[in-house]
Amino acid sequence: MIGWEQNLKVRGWLCRVGAVGIFVWFCGGVGSAADFSKQQLEFFEAKIRPLLVESCYECHQGHGAKSGLKLDSRAGVLRGTDYRKVVEPGAPEKSALLFAVKHAGKMGAVKVEKMPKKGERLSAQAVADLESWVKMGVPWPEEVASEEDPKNHWAFQPVKRAALPKVKTLNRAANGIDFFVLSGLEGKEMMLADEAGRRTLIRRLYFDLSGLPPTFEEVESFVSNQSPRAYEELVDGLLQSPRYGERWGRHWLDVARYSDTKGYRGGGSERRFIYSHTYRDWVIRAFNEDLPYDQFLLYQLAADYLTKDRKDKRDLAAMGFLTLGRRSTADDDIDDRLDVTFRGTMALTVSCSRCHDHKFDPIPTEDYYSLASVFINSEEPREAPVIGEPEDSAAYRSYLVNLAEKQKVVDAFLDPKVAELAKKFPNLANSRFQLITKLDRVDRRKLSNLQRVVDKFVADAGMEADRALILQDREKVSAGGRILIRGSRSRPGKAVPRHFLQLVAGENPPAFKNGSGRLEMAQAIVDVNNPLTARTMVNRVWQHHFGEGLVRTPSDFGLQGEKPSHPELLDWLSVWFVENGWSLKKLHRLILNSSTYKQGSVNARGSDYAAKDPENRLLWRMNRQRLEFEPMRDAALVAAGRLDDAMFGRSVKMTTQPFTQRRAMYAYVDRQNLDPVFGTFDFASPQKHTGQRPYTTIPTQTLFMLNSPFVMEQAAYLAKSVMEGSDKDQTAMVKNLYRKVLLREPAAEELAEGLRFLKGQQVLASARDNKQTSTVWQYGEGYYDGETRRVNYQPFATWAAKEKRWQPSVTMPDKKGMGYLHVFGGGGHPSNDPKHGAIVRWQAPDEMGAIVSGNLHRRSDQGDGVRLRVVHSRLGLIRELDIMGTENKAFELSDVQMKKGESLDFVVDCKQGSNSDSFTWKLDVRPGGGKKWSLADQFGGPGRIATPLENLAQALLCANEFMFVD
Amino acid sequence: MKKDRHREDAFGPLSRRELLRRCGMGMGSVALASLAGREAAQAATSSLNPLIPKAPHFDQKAKRVIHIFANGGPSQVDTFDPKPMLSKYHGKTLPGEHLKTERKTGTAMRSPFEFRKHGESGLEISDLFPNVAHSADDLCVIRSMHANVPNHEPSLMLMNTGFARQATPSMGAWVNYGLGTDNENLPGFVSLCPGGVPIMETQNWRAGFLPGAFQGTHIDTKHTDIDKLIANIENEKIPSEFQRQQVDLIQSLNRRFSEARPRDSKLEARIQSYELAYRMQMEASDAFDVTKEPAHIREAYGEGLQGRQMLIARRLVERGVRFVQVWHGAGQPWDSHSKIKEAHGKLAGDCDQAIGTLLKDLKQRGLLEDTLVIWGGEFGRTPTVELPTPGSNAADTKLGRDHNHHGFSMWLAGGGVKGGYAYGATDEFGFKAEENPVHVHDLHATIMHLLGFDHEALTYRYSGRDYRLTDLEGSVVHDLIA
Repeated sequence: MIGWEQNLKVRGWLCRVGAVGIFVWFCGGVGSAADFSKQQLEFFEAKIRPLLVESCYECHQGHGAKSGLKLDSRAGVLRGTDYRKVVEPGAPEKSALLFAVKHAGKMGAVKVEKMPKKGERLSAQAVADLESWVKMGVPWPEEVASEEDPKNHWAFQPVKRAALPKVKTLNRAANGIDFFVLSGLEGKEMMLADEAGRRTLIRRLYFDLSGLPPTFEEVESFVSNQSPRAYEELVDGLLQSPRYGERWGRHWLDVARYSDTKGYRGGGSERRFIYSHTYRDWVIRAFNEDLPYDQFLLYQLAADYLTKDRKDKRDLAAMGFLTLGRRSTADDDIDDRLDVTFRGTMALTVSCSRCHDHKFDPIPTEDYYSLASVFINSEEPREAPVIGEPEDSAAYRSYLVNLAEKQKVVDAFLDPKVAELAKKFPNLANSRFQLITKLDRVDRRKLSNLQRVVDKFVADAGMEADRALILQDREKVSAGGRILIRGSRSRPGKAVPRHFLQLVAGENPPAFKNGSGRLEMAQAIVDVNNPLTARTMVNRVWQHHFGEGLVRTPSDFGLQGEKPSHPELLDWLSVWFVENGWSLKKLHRLILNSSTYKQGSVNARGSDYAAKDPENRLLWRMNRQRLEFEPMRDAALVAAGRLDDAMFGRSVKMTTQPFTQRRAMYAYVDRQNLDPVFGTFDFASPQKHTGQRPYTTIPTQTLFMLNSPFVMEQAAYLAKSVMEGSDKDQTAMVKNLYRKVLLREPAAEELAEGLRFLKGQQVLASARDNKQTSTVWQYGEGYYDGETRRVNYQPFATWAAKEKRWQPSVTMPDKKGMGYLHVFGGGGHPSNDPKHGAIVRWQAPDEMGAIVSGNLHRRSDQGDGVRLRVVHSRLGLIRELDIMGTENKAFELSDVQMKKGESLDFVVDCKQGSNSDSFTWKLDVRPGGGKKWSLADQFGGPGRIATPLENLAQALLCANEFMFVD
Repeated sequence: MKKDRHREDAFGPLSRRELLRRCGMGMGSVALASLAGREAAQAATSSLNPLIPKAPHFDQKAKRVIHIFANGGPSQVDTFDPKPMLSKYHGKTLPGEHLKTERKTGTAMRSPFEFRKHGESGLEISDLFPNVAHSADDLCVIRSMHANVPNHEPSLMLMNTGFARQATPSMGAWVNYGLGTDNENLPGFVSLCPGGVPIMETQNWRAGFLPGAFQGTHIDTKHTDIDKLIANIENEKIPSEFQRQQVDLIQSLNRRFSEARPRDSKLEARIQSYELAYRMQMEASDAFDVTKEPAHIREAYGEGLQGRQMLIARRLVERGVRFVQVWHGAGQPWDSHSKIKEAHGKLAGDCDQAIGTLLKDLKQRGLLEDTLVIWGGEFGRTPTVELPTPGSNAADTKLGRDHNHHGFSMWLAGGGVKGGYAYGATDEFGFKAEENPVHVHDLHATIMHLLGFDHEALTYRYSGRDYRLTDLEGSVVHDLIA
């Protein structure tokens, strides 16, 4: 796996030795050691190379060399800058380099900058050395032997059907795949692991093909199914399930850097695409209908061409592949489209050639701008074509009325302006759109402010009929493209015709003839002779079944990518895939029926296998895989019996409450402000194409499992579902939880452990004060004992939910003589016995100097009033407040020293008699600066804590057994 | 040769030239020599947890960073770049070329604030920052900063990610990628921003194409409740003693699961992460609770929001958080197009005490020597007065200044930089960086250098290219380093 960490190691190294790589690429055949004498080469090493390193490399070396002049290789020296040659071998008088270091200013009529720009001027001796060097013809030793000519790179060779290798263990060779894998293993005296058990296989197949777990019953029935075809039938059934398209569609959405928003838009402009879901839904359908992969790609790149003569335009939605990228500048948008197209379909990093010829792969800058021209000549129509029907409902009709109202505001502003402009520009009078472009700056700003309101309304409502976000050829397409030197608009280079990559189409490929050339480009991508397209997709499919691709750089098959572990197998599969009509479902079937796929994730056979092949490149066992964010979330909903399997439609927010029960593949993906939980779980970043998600294990993932309201919610539903009909039999409940979450019966030891856990949790629960859970505020009754200087306190036993108050018993007045005794957030009532006052207790969660403030107020002028005592659990009585009649007294105590766990009791009693002793109060406790505890805000009933059974359910959801697939 | 000191450190006593001659093949093998050490260090700490501490390329002067972001663009000529000539030209057109900025500006406008010399160094600082000025001898002011364009969005991206347009990783993410965290119970990169998010929103602290583990954790410091600060850090429904039993049960289930699946580092990593998460709950609550500080410390930082968030920043770096960004506020508070005197006066008044105390507090605790404090905005402001633009949202501006990317000031403190030092200079009016200009890429290269990295070598392969924080640019400004 090229995970992030290998990237850190390997790439640091690659970057550093990058210079050598450049040699390999540029030196191919240009000047070699053989051409120069030993003396000349020694002269170079002694005089010239150190000079170049000291004086030139700061600016003229490697990636990003100034003006494109790289003086770190002979080829670079000979190539010169992006504009001209700087050295004419053998002719110093024609070499600008020498004019530069001599500070001549000019070479003939051409201006030459003085060099080096930074640092000291070269000594006369150094200049003379350089002159000699150029005279000698620029001697340079042959660098490290070229690893390979990029033209001979494996991935650029035609796909060849390999013969099946001979293997010894024929009994394990279920199909062609196994011959290649077995051959690799036997070469190292290794063997496949035994076939995994049925329990493992069904769970693996379910997650692989549907992204969901099977039910316990499905597992049991598969385990007991005696039919030799049971496995194949299971595979077929899962491929037929609509869940398949949701699972594999999501894999493709990673490739397509799917998002529901455009990224950052300034000034409050609408960021949502509004119709992004039509692309997602098209992808799901395409997978479910097993649309041949070549067609699948053609539609995504050129559905406008393909549906031209059709009535049914729904396939236009496929073009979201191109249009749903991040929106920035026009040039960057085109770069994004090229990137998603070529990394996505051919695993080629074409966008590297935007500023210079590709450093490693044979992709010249010319090809980049040739293909960029295809996209420059393709535009989004002003109005996206409608491909669906609005739903005929009252809601929709009322939406239309509201929309018209909103639009009226815009029109009221615009109509008079347009009328005015029509007079000014009579030749544009027919085009409202053209006239609008003539608005002055102030009006344009006003218009966009008004239009924004309408846009937001439309996006929020989500009622519009579906539309396809397409590209179409511009009305007038340009003759060809033009190179932009170093990617800069202000530095146009030579003109280039539109054509396909020379890497595939050969030198001087024929120019595209049809419009923008987008259809021809798409056809060239899916051409059976294109060596990359089938290999790329076969590898992607393999990767999702095995956790790693045969090539572990799934979106870079170039020279910088990894080599395939089984090159013949990759080719054999690619040929097979094309011959079988580019059918993905057939390809799955082939892979899933191989012994290689069916083997277990533990190989008991060889204890030395891990040493021989630590990364399991030879596939001596199945890779154990962790559920990604989506199947993890979906599986939790399934376990809780709550998954909503509705398909299609507008995206839904995954992370806000109430939590959606839809599958996570329907998540609303906000490109600019993606909820951090997606990144936490290694979701594919929607900024750009993703070939393989990162794999990290970090505590914030675990915090989500332990504390997130989402997981807690599923645990609560799970617990509820096993309680029902269990007749309070805890053994049955534990068993049932195991079935629902881990799809098996618990072992005896596990059952005992579960029961022990429930008991332990119950012990903790009963130790808590009468179910009062808030540790800060507690409610009860009692009195202040002046002798002990302590409060005699009894917590209230009853929460009256309807009245929202704590009281001694369910009846009011209390039957045991406590009368109307109660407290609520804003006040209360003492009993008619001073021994049973109303008490609110505040317990310090931490050490602090607290400021305690509040007031006490009585509503009636009858009776003898009430008394408030503030009692510190260590210091005793610290304040007493006596009110008569309708008095209202405030109090404040500053710097009350509290240690953690110490408490303050606010005791209100009736003094002598409790006639009309209803009181109101306010109590606040504030540490010196910082958050305030306010009774009024925080008063509440018994905050429900999770039950032991819920906590057990959650523990199972947290287990590795739930999260990993063997 | 000073410039190459770090290389010599890395490669031992051999001179670079000699090395080149010996291996006769250019930079490649030189790089390999230093790689060997790095790989060995990494192998020793190999884990699936990407945040595990890692060794940098060479000795680091700074181990952690506090980046105080005065978002919106503070004016250099009113803060750290005194320009007496502005008084002379006040109300007059500046001689020479009138540089283009976002909006139209008119005649020169002198600073309404006095500059004074501070400390032994006599570093000149305006009266806007009297408390920061107490630490003048620790400040390394760069008066010749420059960026690319006079617009907030690309300039914020440039300052935070090194790329103006692409969605690449932020500096904090790069630093965590390179160094990991010293405290796994806390996020390695925290972005404090009260009241919401700045312009460009969460992209300012995203991980880009780096794994999500490196993304900045945004903390809205307007809130004081811990559960509102970090997602899922508390569980109101499962008190801790209940959860302890629960985690024990999970670990028992996991250990049993591992018995039949030996030597799987992914299973082991997840087992470890439960213990980490359990501890993180306590530690994170503690780190953000400024009430744990003695009263005199809280008073020194000040009662307000800025005081609280600077104090949180100190508590975080003290606990090993690698990179803390402290934003002045949501949106772009320092964007004083109008009434610079009142606007800047209020903004500096809000944060001066807090920043000044932070510097002193870090120093007193011995943290300043290896904590790099950075202060600045995404660009500066014009020395000329902004003119009202009818029909735009700048219709009523007066006595304010426009954005200015041609020249602006930032300062560094601690972390191995020179103190009491001003580097580079703008022209006589403070418009454009002229002497020793420092581009944002150069600043990034220097920051990475202080953290122990060759900025050209800390790369990540993405989309066929080795990306780095400094794009293809950046030179270390060695003169800033003590």
